[in-house]
Amino acid sequence: MNIKYIYSLMLVLALVWACDEPITIDTATAEEQVIIEGMVTNTAGRNFVKVTKSRSFYETGSTERITNAIVTVSDETGNYADFVHNPSGEPETEGYYYAAGDFIGAIGRTYSLRVELGENVYEAQDELLPVTPIDSLAQQLTDDEDAIEDRGPGPVYEVLFYAKEPQERQDQYLFKFYRNDSLIKDSPSDVYFADDNLLGETIDDIELAGYYIPGDLVRAEMYSLTREAFIFYNDLNNLINSDGGMFSPPPANPRTNLSNGAMGFFQASAVATKEIIIVNED
Amino acid sequence: MQRTLLVLGLTMLCFAVSAQQKFTLNGYVRAASSGEELIGVTVYVKEQANGVISNPYGFYSLTLPEGQYTVLYSYIGFKTKEQIITLDKNTELNVELEDEFTDLEEVVVTSERQDVNVVGIQMSKNELNVEQVKKLPALFGEPDIIKTVQMMPGVISAGEGTSSFFVRGGSADQNLILIDEAPVYDPSHLFGLFSVFNADVIKDSELYKGGIPARFGGRLSSILEVRTKDGNNKEFGGEAGIGTLASSVMVEGPIKKDVSSYIISARRSYVDLFLKAANQDNLVHFYDINAKMNWRANNNNRFFLSLYAGRDKFSFGDDFGFNWGNKTATFRWNHLFSDKLFSNTSLVASKFDYGLGSENQVDAFDWDSSLTEYTLKEDLNFFFNPRLSLDFGYHVTYRVFEAGNIESGAESIFSDTKLPSEYALDHSLYAGMEHQISDKLSLQYGARLSVFQSIGKQTVYEYADPQDNINPVRVDSTTYGAFENIKTYVNLEPRFAARYLLTSATSLKASYNRMVQNTHLVSSGTVPVPFNTWVPSSVYLKPQLADQFALGYFHDLQNNAYSISFETFYKRFQNVTDFADNAQIFFNEDLVTEFRQGKSEAYGAEVMVQKKEGKLTGFVSYTWSRVERTVPGVNLGKSFLANHDRRHSLNVVATYDYSDKWVFGGSFTYATGRPITLPTGSYEYGDGYLPDVITERNGYKLPDFNRMDLSATLYPRKNADRNYKTSWVFSLYNVYSRKNPFTIYTQVKQDDDGNVIGDGTEKEARLIYLFPILPSVTFNIEF
Repeated sequence: MNIKYIYSLMLVLALVWACDEPITIDTATAEEQVIIEGMVTNTAGRNFVKVTKSRSFYETGSTERITNAIVTVSDETGNYADFVHNPSGEPETEGYYYAAGDFIGAIGRTYSLRVELGENVYEAQDELLPVTPIDSLAQQLTDDEDAIEDRGPGPVYEVLFYAKEPQERQDQYLFKFYRNDSLIKDSPSDVYFADDNLLGETIDDIELAGYYIPGDLVRAEMYSLTREAFIFYNDLNNLINSDGGMFSPPPANPRTNLSNGAMGFFQASAVATKEIIIVNED
Repeated sequence: MQRTLLVLGLTMLCFAVSAQQKFTLNGYVRAASSGEELIGVTVYVKEQANGVISNPYGFYSLTLPEGQYTVLYSYIGFKTKEQIITLDKNTELNVELEDEFTDLEEVVVTSERQDVNVVGIQMSKNELNVEQVKKLPALFGEPDIIKTVQMMPGVISAGEGTSSFFVRGGSADQNLILIDEAPVYDPSHLFGLFSVFNADVIKDSELYKGGIPARFGGRLSSILEVRTKDGNNKEFGGEAGIGTLASSVMVEGPIKKDVSSYIISARRSYVDLFLKAANQDNLVHFYDINAKMNWRANNNNRFFLSLYAGRDKFSFGDDFGFNWGNKTATFRWNHLFSDKLFSNTSLVASKFDYGLGSENQVDAFDWDSSLTEYTLKEDLNFFFNPRLSLDFGYHVTYRVFEAGNIESGAESIFSDTKLPSEYALDHSLYAGMEHQISDKLSLQYGARLSVFQSIGKQTVYEYADPQDNINPVRVDSTTYGAFENIKTYVNLEPRFAARYLLTSATSLKASYNRMVQNTHLVSSGTVPVPFNTWVPSSVYLKPQLADQFALGYFHDLQNNAYSISFETFYKRFQNVTDFADNAQIFFNEDLVTEFRQGKSEAYGAEVMVQKKEGKLTGFVSYTWSRVERTVPGVNLGKSFLANHDRRHSLNVVATYDYSDKWVFGGSFTYATGRPITLPTGSYEYGDGYLPDVITERNGYKLPDFNRMDLSATLYPRKNADRNYKTSWVFSLYNVYSRKNPFTIYTQVKQDDDGNVIGDGTEKEARLIYLFPILPSVTFNIEF
């Protein structure tokens, strides 16, 4: 149960009477911040470190990529991998660093990130926790008008998610949903994450983001998160969905495990994946 | 300091006792038409050039040497009554005042009338005239006393559409809002569009912002005391109003003429009907019910029972709903132990609760949270003589804080969860002396001793680092049994006020008060919402303290037709409760790790000019103020302007009695935009997110706020021939339809349907504004 839900409901409520319109804010130019997004998983192809800079509020286009960092990831057993900048040379992966050799995370290990940028060194640790498997995904015909308008006229389906939540340990999860390999969010600012504080053992009939039509390949990914990573996503979610501090707390930068003033997070996760192809039930 | 005051007090008492042969004149002052007790009536003894003011129960007592006196009873809106009294024994005299009919040609001249503004010792206090509130323009035509409170000098509002107010640098949870002595924890309907106070039943209302008398305590910044009508004990009557968003009905009458009476009032909104018309499957409504009975057993014993219940209910489709509401009950017994010793014994209960729930099978849950309190109050007034009176008493409150309780449905993914409850006992003992030292100098001095106890049943956890809110580690726990003492805080709150008359129409006043607050609102937004819970002081939360110094100059012009007040204040807060950046304040089992306490400092100057008589009445108020907070762990420990820091605030309110048929009203508000935290940049993260870079809390200001509202009230001429009276109130809200800022939020630039515009790398800031020009009509009938 996401509290963001309540805040946004209040905003919706206020908006029964309220209107909004763009306003130009006089944003002071602040120092550029180093942004690090690090991801170590137990799945090949899901491991990277991205190093960028922040920009002023109204700037558009890609943010500045940092291409000259020295990036290494290690674990407590002495395994060590150099991450090199954009080995493929593709423009869209500029700013991304990938392991030089075969690199894959292992459940139970704690990973350390070191990013050296000129005289500055940014470091972080995160533990790769196990993740519970996704039991199954199921399709269900929807009568949601917006969904039909968007994806119809044929039958439109929503996809439901089933899993067992282990009650004996504390878990935190991040979810990602894909339609034909494109990431799906109901709203650009949606972050799908949860902890198990209020969850019972059976997770049934949870709706995925998005609506689907026959032939769509639907994939759900569930990532394990440490408490610190959960806090980061929670803070991120609060920040990008803030009402400006009228009812909700004042916006604040997400708490991070990175040292030396860098923003972002270094995350180690186990990934559980499930796919289905939507069929026409008629 | 305290001891000195006490000794001083006792010395005065001796003086009083050693006087010559004296007799006491006492009684109640009432309205002739309804039998309602009148509060704050000036009872003036011509020969002594001196007087008293009727207490909150309409009671007055004057002890004078034997002799013949001319006593004047005067009260705004009533004809002054003159009584010649031969005082040769203790005399009981109940006085009824006639309504001052608004005969516009005739101006009543009373040479000796005194005015509380100048003569009263109390400063930093505003009376809120309900009759005037009803004639003023109101949002959706619903008269709301809180909206007038927000226009008083020294009071800041967070904007429109909220019932929150901020007094002299205090936050919204530092106001004690009382309805017939019972606290109302959340005075809002529809998230603050309206307040819980139904204007039909309000008798009078006062706001104390400084120099707060010793009989009040528990909150740092203000006391808003709202008293409801007792009910007409002469004849049956009533009122009904049909408004744009809500309707109300009120009936009152004697149970036994002149002895006992009742009043019942109900109000319900029908916003939901509008929403249905707009084809939305949502339910939004609120209601209020007020009921009161009173019984004058005899002049020495009076009993009152006052009840209030109100609730808001929202549901969205069939899935999700929430509700909140207050219930209060007050039982009062006024007793005269002697003609000089007046006693009020109250039993008060108050409950605030909210619930959130979903009936959707998958995520079905029912979440409840509540705060319940029971108070016993014994307040005594002892009237030594017109120059000296003493208020003293004892209050004890037992509070139960139910932080949250989740019950899940059978097929729900949620498990049942309960956050631990907390319990507290709050004792206070107070004494306050009102003392006229000379013709020019009067003092009010006293103190309140607050003894707060956090009590079981509760398990208190010890944390490895109580400020670690990322990974709180509980290292130890102690379990306390029911009513077992966990932590005690003792605080002494000195109170002092002085008035010096410069001339009969001008005075200087000064005051100092310390206030203590042991209930803390868990909220870090600007405006509290009903889903914010309250917690008591505890091992991890110290009592909040505020010291306030105020100085004022008061002036009445043209025989009190105009009154002017000028005040300055300086206020210092300690242990003011705040929350860590990124605090998780909802349903957090380790909430204590989010608490941060720090300091705050506020100062300002206020001017108010009031015109109280004539065709044109109203006021202008202006406030300049500043409030800053410094809280370790918030904004990196750097000082920041509080959410409610608004440098300038100007309000103009006027009503004009054009004729018997038409009354016009208008109001204008201007305020500096409130501070807001806005980004200095943004960055890319994860799957297309563009979070802001935040560098400073409250580093920006919203655009300035200004709005004008107008109203016209029509009393049809036909009223004269009918045994019921009707009126129409036409309101125009936001006359020039200004887009007044409510808040600013940022997002990835998108169109109205939420589709990203462009490549998703562009951000935009959006300003939310609430109400454009809004006309409304209310029809009222009085019978």
